[in-house]
Parts: sequence; structure tokens; C-alpha cells
Amino acid sequence: MVKETALPAAAQRGEGRGSPELGHWPSLSSSQGLEEGISQITSKSQDARRALVWNFPIDVTFKSTNPYGCDTAVCENICFRHKKTIPMFVPESVSKLQKFTRWDQVGPPQSDGWMPGTRQHTDAGAGPSLEGWPRPSVPLSPPQPLLPVRGAGPANAALLSSVTRVRSQGFVTLLFNVVTKDMRKLGYDTGPPDTQGVSGPSTPQGLPR
Amino acid sequence: AMAEVHVIGQIMGATGFSESSLFCKWGIHTGAAWKLLSGVREGQTQVDTPQIGDMAYWSHPIDLHFATKGLQGWPRLHLQVWSQDSFGRCQLAGYGFCHVPSSPGTHQLDCPTWRPLGSWREQLARAFVGGGPQLLHGDAIYSGADRYRLHTAAGGTVHLELGLLLRHFDRYGVEC
Repeated sequence: MVKETALPAAAQRGEGRGSPELGHWPSLSSSQGLEEGISQITSKSQDARRALVWNFPIDVTFKSTNPYGCDTAVCENICFRHKKTIPMFVPESVSKLQKFTRWDQVGPPQSDGWMPGTRQHTDAGAGPSLEGWPRPSVPLSPPQPLLPVRGAGPANAALLSSVTRVRSQGFVTLLFNVVTKDMRKLGYDTGPPDTQGVSGPSTPQGLPR
Repeated sequence: AMAEVHVIGQIMGATGFSESSLFCKWGIHTGAAWKLLSGVREGQTQVDTPQIGDMAYWSHPIDLHFATKGLQGWPRLHLQVWSQDSFGRCQLAGYGFCHVPSSPGTHQLDCPTWRPLGSWREQLARAFVGGGPQLLHGDAIYSGADRYRLHTAAGGTVHLELGLLLRHFDRYGVEC
């Protein structure tokens, strides 16, 4: 289930398209199932929840010799159901003029357009604010969906640099089950089934549950 | 074969800072027995200005693969939270560190931060024009050796989710 749980008042148009994508895993030897996909367009419900629901299935199998480069799911417990709430960002332009002029560039989402929730590298002062749904004519450098899973590596570190300014304004909820095979045989210890160490306050402020 | 540790997780974000538009510089410090096989040892998040609530979100990935010959110098993650204003000037919001957990599985970590207080003149100046003292050497963040020299105030809290995967520790008699 992929369901968006919160949107700010600014994005009341209530349409959302999710694009689940998994990161780059150097030691991946094979995978089965879709590694990325595009959901339907959904509109907010008319009831008090104002919910955006995609209910998008994720069913993928990976085979690898090394956990490095994989998704966080590897450290999750075997045969456990996980719920993750992922904050979404929108790059922010530095120039106030660009913030003002971008409103007339906003249009309906295009099939090859930039997906909200992906991170783009924007140089300070360059590029428009990508708060809405830009038409393809918006002069962006080629969209590179840098989802947070892609972090390791000097190339990505340079992209996620201090010149990237974003606004976090919404969450996507992911629910998935994990099954692993042969990790113990290879000497890996993933922890006992009910390991979930918590220190300090139980929930960060602002994270919806 | 040496014992191996995988640290796979993310710096989720931060709460409790009076400044907005925050970013975080992070690094990992280990002892001499540890060797980084894969991953980058340090990094920097994007600048986030939260629109909902007061938690700044970074979701910055951490993926590290260590090999080690000993338990001394277990990895410490050290953090610097900075705020950036609309003119691009950066101001220190807090320093913090936490040990990477030593038991396998997923851990939610809250890392409190602190920032050096200057003289009352410097504190007054910081309130009006920003700035403020910073550490000359970053190792005071994760080491206790010279802490007695400092007078500090609390900053906000950085929230992390770190998954730990251990390999071959049982061969060396280590119970985790």
C-alpha cells in the first residue's frame, strides 16, 4: 500500500502520482519483479480524511553477495511487516523573482514530467521553484530522480551538496513485508525478531502516525 | 575472515532548533582497528525548510561497510547542524555525536546537540546579527579530552534511523 497521508494547503489540487524506485546496488546479481513503477493519478477523497490513496503493489526479489548499496529493508527483521512514513521534498529556488514567476509555469502533470518527491540538484539562483507541476518547457537540467536511498558514492555526495535547498511538505506511507534467505548461513546476524531499539522520545515531532 | 559491520540507515531530520532552513554535516570516526570497505565516511545533507510542523527532514542515506580486527574504536557518528539564511550565510546550530549501535537490527536514535556559548558580548551579537563561536577542531565533538574548556548551551535533536548488520562476530567470541 502506498498512501499519501499529508499535504500542505498550498497543494490542494489533490492529485498525486507516486513513482516508487529503488536505488543503485553494486553487488546486485539478479532481481525479479518491477524495481520501479508509476502509480495512477489519485485525487483527494471528499470525506474528512482528505486522503490520497494509491494502493500500489510492490513485489520484488533481490539476490546479492553484499548488503552494501541495498535498501534499508535488509536490516529489517525477517518475516516482519514494516510501515514507513517517508517525507517528501521540493527543491526551492533561491531567487524571489523566480518564486514569483513560477506560478504561471505550473500545469498539469505530464507523463514524462518531473515527479514531486524526487530531489534535483539546483545551483543557487538557477532554475525555477519546482513547487507545483512544471510543464516540460521548464528549463530544468535532466530530471534525475535522486530518492534518498541513493546516497553512497562520491558522485552522489557532490550532488547532495549545500547548494540544494528544499522544502519538506508532505509524506508518503509505505507498508511492506520482508523475507530474507540464507543470511545466517553466510555469517550475517540481523538481530532477534523483536529488535527495535528506541532511545529518547518515541516519535519525532511532526511525523504523522 | 575479519569481522564486518554494515551501517545502513538515514539521518531522518531534526527537531527543537530555533533556526529554520537547516542542514547537517556528518562524519564517521573509527579506531585504528577499523577499515572502511565501502561507502563515504562523511557527507552533507540538503538544506530543508519545513512547511508542515517544525521538524526539518533530510532523509539522508548512510551506507557503510566496515571490517574490523577489534572492538576498540567502535564507530562514532558525529554531526554538525547549521542553518542557512536567504543570503546564503551559514550559522552553527549545534554539534552532536552518537555511537553506532552495537546490536544488530534497526534502531531509532535521538542525538542531542550543543553549541559553544561565547562571552555575553558574543551572545548578544549572535541574537542580533548572527554568527557565534565555532569549534576550531571537530574532534571535540566526539572526544571528551578537551571538553572541560567549553561552556555550551543546548541545541535541538537530530533523529536517525540506523540498521546494523554484523558478520562473523560469533567467530571471535563477541556476544552482541
